[in-house]
Amino acid sequence: MMVKKLIEKVEGEAELDFSFKNNKIDDVTIKFGFYRGIENILTGKPPRDALVITPRVCGICNHAHLIASVRAIEDGYRSVGMKVNLTNKANDIREFTLACELIQNHVKWFYLIILPQLEKLLDQQGEENHALKASYLSSTITKALAIFAGQWPHSSYAVPGGVTCDPTYVDVMQAESLVDESIKFFEQIMVGVKIDDILAMDSVLDLPKIGGDLGKVLLLLGSSGMAEMGKSHDRFIVFGECLCFKIGKSIPTQVSTIDTNYVKEERQKGSMAKSVTYKNRLFEVGSLARGMIAKEPMVKALHKRYKDSTLTRIFARVYEMGLLISYSKQLLKRLNLQEESCTFKANNRPMDFEGVGVVEAARGSLIHKTTVKDGLITNYEIIVPTQWNLSNGNGEEQGVSTKAMRGATSVEEASFIFRTFDVCSVCTTQ
Amino acid sequence: MKIADKKALKRESIIQTALQLFSTNGFHRTTIPDIAKALKMSVGNLYNYFSSKDMLAKEIIKYTSEVLGNEIREVNGLEVSTEEKVKKIVTLYFRMAKEKPEMIEYFLRVYLSNREVFNDGCEGMICVSGFITEIMIFFDDGVESGALRNQDFFSAFGLFMGYLGGMVFLKGEEVLPNDIEFYVEDISRNIYNALKV
Amino acid sequence: MKKPKLLWLQSITCNGNAHSFFNHPELFSILSHFELLYHPLLDTEYILEEVIKTQLACDVLILEGSFREKGMLKGGVELSTVVEVYAQKAKHIITAGTCATFGGVFKEADPKNITGFAFDIKEKTKRHELYFSKLISLPGCPIHPKWLSFVLLMLAKEKDIVLDDMFRPQELYGITVHTGCSRNEYFEWKVDTKGFGLKEGCLFYEQGCQGPHTRGSCNKILWNDASSKTIVGTPCFGCTEPDFPKTALYMTQTNMGIPTTMPLGVPKRAYLTATGIAKSFKIKRFEERIIKYDG
Repeated sequence: MMVKKLIEKVEGEAELDFSFKNNKIDDVTIKFGFYRGIENILTGKPPRDALVITPRVCGICNHAHLIASVRAIEDGYRSVGMKVNLTNKANDIREFTLACELIQNHVKWFYLIILPQLEKLLDQQGEENHALKASYLSSTITKALAIFAGQWPHSSYAVPGGVTCDPTYVDVMQAESLVDESIKFFEQIMVGVKIDDILAMDSVLDLPKIGGDLGKVLLLLGSSGMAEMGKSHDRFIVFGECLCFKIGKSIPTQVSTIDTNYVKEERQKGSMAKSVTYKNRLFEVGSLARGMIAKEPMVKALHKRYKDSTLTRIFARVYEMGLLISYSKQLLKRLNLQEESCTFKANNRPMDFEGVGVVEAARGSLIHKTTVKDGLITNYEIIVPTQWNLSNGNGEEQGVSTKAMRGATSVEEASFIFRTFDVCSVCTTQ
Repeated sequence: MKIADKKALKRESIIQTALQLFSTNGFHRTTIPDIAKALKMSVGNLYNYFSSKDMLAKEIIKYTSEVLGNEIREVNGLEVSTEEKVKKIVTLYFRMAKEKPEMIEYFLRVYLSNREVFNDGCEGMICVSGFITEIMIFFDDGVESGALRNQDFFSAFGLFMGYLGGMVFLKGEEVLPNDIEFYVEDISRNIYNALKV
Repeated sequence: MKKPKLLWLQSITCNGNAHSFFNHPELFSILSHFELLYHPLLDTEYILEEVIKTQLACDVLILEGSFREKGMLKGGVELSTVVEVYAQKAKHIITAGTCATFGGVFKEADPKNITGFAFDIKEKTKRHELYFSKLISLPGCPIHPKWLSFVLLMLAKEKDIVLDDMFRPQELYGITVHTGCSRNEYFEWKVDTKGFGLKEGCLFYEQGCQGPHTRGSCNKILWNDASSKTIVGTPCFGCTEPDFPKTALYMTQTNMGIPTTMPLGVPKRAYLTATGIAKSFKIKRFEERIIKYDG
C-alpha cells in the first residue's frame, strides 16, 4: 500500500511517499519540489557578494550561511598565502551571533513543531499558545544578535578578517540582559530546572527532575511509546569548527577525525534535493550528533538507554539550547572591546582562489565551497545539513530519516519522527 | 541703476584690476594703494569692498574659478562626443590664456605659489570648487558614456590640467615657438588618447 | 464587527519575511485583529491542501516570494493559479518583501520567467492592471516586521494608507535608509570610514553603502528594536529597491572617484559642489576615535 502525504510548515513543504508492509511503514521517499538556483546566481559575481546572497538561502538559518560563506573566502585567501588572523573579539562576536541564531532555531522547532505536533499525534491538545513562547524567545535572542549584526534575518556583518561592528559596552550590557532573559525563559518555561543543573545531569535517573515544557514532552514520549521510536543508523558526523562543539564522526564504537574531501553530493530521482554521504555512508548531523561527538554526559547517558531515538534527539536539541545560552553568556563576559573588529585591511584582494567554509548550523554541518577566477566566482557549492538527514539513501543504505521512520504504524507517527530531524525545505532545495 | 547693482559692478572691476596687477607685478609687490590708484578710487573706499589684500586674493581665485567653471559647464551641456569635449576644453583654456592671460597667470603664479595666503578660508577645493566640480562632471560623463577609462580622479585630473598648465607656463616664459592655439589639435588628441578606455 | 480574513501565501522564497515578522514583539496582538486562514509558520484554521482548493474567502492577501507562471507547484497545483483566485477575492494585496514586489534575489536564477507579483523589477506585469487598486508594496529583503504591522493595523482599523506610484506606503518609503543613520555627521563632512569594523566614518564613499539612495526607514524604525546594518558598519545593500541585488555590493561604484549613484534626488553638480567644500576641511573630531580606551 502506498500513501502520499504533504508535510507543510517545514520552511516550505516536503512530500512523503510511504509504502506499508504488514501495517507498518516499510519504506519512505522524500521529495522536495522547487529548486531556486542560489548556487548559479552567484556565478559571475565578486566573491564577497556571497556574504549578501547566501543568507537568502534560508529565512531561519541565514546567519549560519553568512558565517560559512565568510569562512570559505577566508580559507581561500589563506590558501594563496594571505594572512587572515581574526582577533579574539571578532571570533567571539561571530560565535555569539551564531549561537543566538541556533537558539532561535531550536526554540522555534520545539514550540512550533515538536510540542504541538506531539500533542496532536497523541490527542492531548490544550489551549496554550505555544507559538507565543517561540516568538517571545526568538525575538529576545535575535535582538541580542542584532545588537552586533545589525539585523536578523539576513545580516551580512561578517567580512573577511572579522566583523563590521564596533560595539561599545552599552551594546554588551544590553546583550547580556537579553541573554539573562533567555536563561530565565529556559529555566522557568522550558526545562523547569536551573540551567547549570540540567547541564550537570549525567544519568537517565535525572530525567524525572526535568519539568517545564520539555518535561511535558518527555512524559508524552514515554507514555506513548514514541520515546523508543525513530532510531536510525546510529552514526553521527560534525564538521563545523565553532561554538562549543567538537569535530569528528562517531559510530557506535568510536569517535574519529574527518576530512571534507570525502563528502559526496548526488542527485536524487524525483526530488530537487541532492543527497550527501561521507565515504559513501550516511550519517546523522545536528544537535544529537554534536552531543554524541562532544560526549556530553547526559546525551551519552540517554543514548545508552534509548539509542538515536526521538527522545534522545529531542532532548539533545533542548539540552544544546542550554549549552548555547550559557556559552553565549561567557562569550559576552570575556569580550575585550579594545581589540580590533576587523584585521583585514588590504586593498589587494586575491583574484584567484578556492576556499571551503564549514559551520555548525542549527540542523547540523553546513559547508560552502567557493571557486574564484579573475576576481569573480566561477563555482559555488552549498551542502546543507538537511541533505544529510533527509536524503533517500544511496542504494546501499537507507536515508537517516527514512530509516528512522521505518516501522512506524501510521503516517502521523512517521511524520512526527520526520519532524524530529527538523526539516528545512528551503535549505534542502537552495 | 540700483545701488546694489552699482556696487556689484564696482566690486567686479576691483577684482579685475587687482587680478591684472597681482599677475604682472606679483602678489607681494602689489599693495592696496596701488590697486586703488589704478582704479582711481580712495584706499578707504576700496576697504569698503574688501577688508584686506588676502581677502581680495581669495575673492579673485573664486572669481576666476567661476569664470572657467562656467565655460566648462557649457561644454558639459553640449551633445557632442567626449573626444570633442576634450578639444573644446583645451581650446577654451588656451583662448583664455591668450585673451585673459592674467587669469591663468594668477592661478599658476599667485594661487599655487602663495598657499599661506589661502590657507585660512580657501583650504582644499573651497575656492576652486566652481572649476573642479565641472571637471568632475566632465570625467563622470566621459566614464558613463563609455569613452573614458575609470580611474582615480586625481590621476586623470593631474594629467589633464597639469598638461594644460604646463603649456600655459611655457607660453608665459615665451619659449613656445608657435602661437598656443597651434597646439590645440595635438594636445587634445594626446589627452584623449591617454584617458580613453 | 467580523474580523478580516488573512491569508499568507508563499511562492519562491527563503521564508525570511515570515521569520522576520514572527519576531515582532507584539505579533499575537496584531494578528488578533484578523482571522488567520493560513500562515507558513503558525498553526492556522486551514491546512495548505485546503487552501490550494481556492474555496476560502479572503480579505487580506499577503504574498511572499517571487512568481513564475509555470513550474512552481504546491501540492501538485500551479501556485500562480491559486494566487490569481485569491487575488481576485481579496480587498487588499500586500506584497511582503522584495521578491514578491519586484522579483528580488530569486529572479536572477531565471530572469525571463521569474518576476514580482505586479512588477518585474520596475516594469509593470500584466497583474498590475488587474489589481493595482488593491496593491500595497512592502519591499525589503527581508520585510521589516514593523512595516508589515503598520500596514496590517491600518487595514484592520480601516484607515487610508498614503501610497507612492509603486504602491509603497509613503510613511515608510518616503525617506531613505540614510535618514537617522548614526554616521550622518561623517556623511555631512565627507569623512570616509577607514575600513570595516569602526564605528566612525561613512560607508558611502568606499564600502558600497546605498543608504542615501535607498528608500526605507531602517534607521528610523530599528531592526529587532535594536540596530541596523549601517549602525553596525555594514553597508546598506539597497534591498528595498527594484534592482536589488546589484553586484559588487561591498564596493562603491565610482566614475573617476565620483559615486555613480547620487543621494536620492540630488543633482550631481549640487552634490559635487557640496562635497568639494566639505572635504576641504580637516575637522579633528571626525578624524579621532569616539572612545579612547587607553585614556
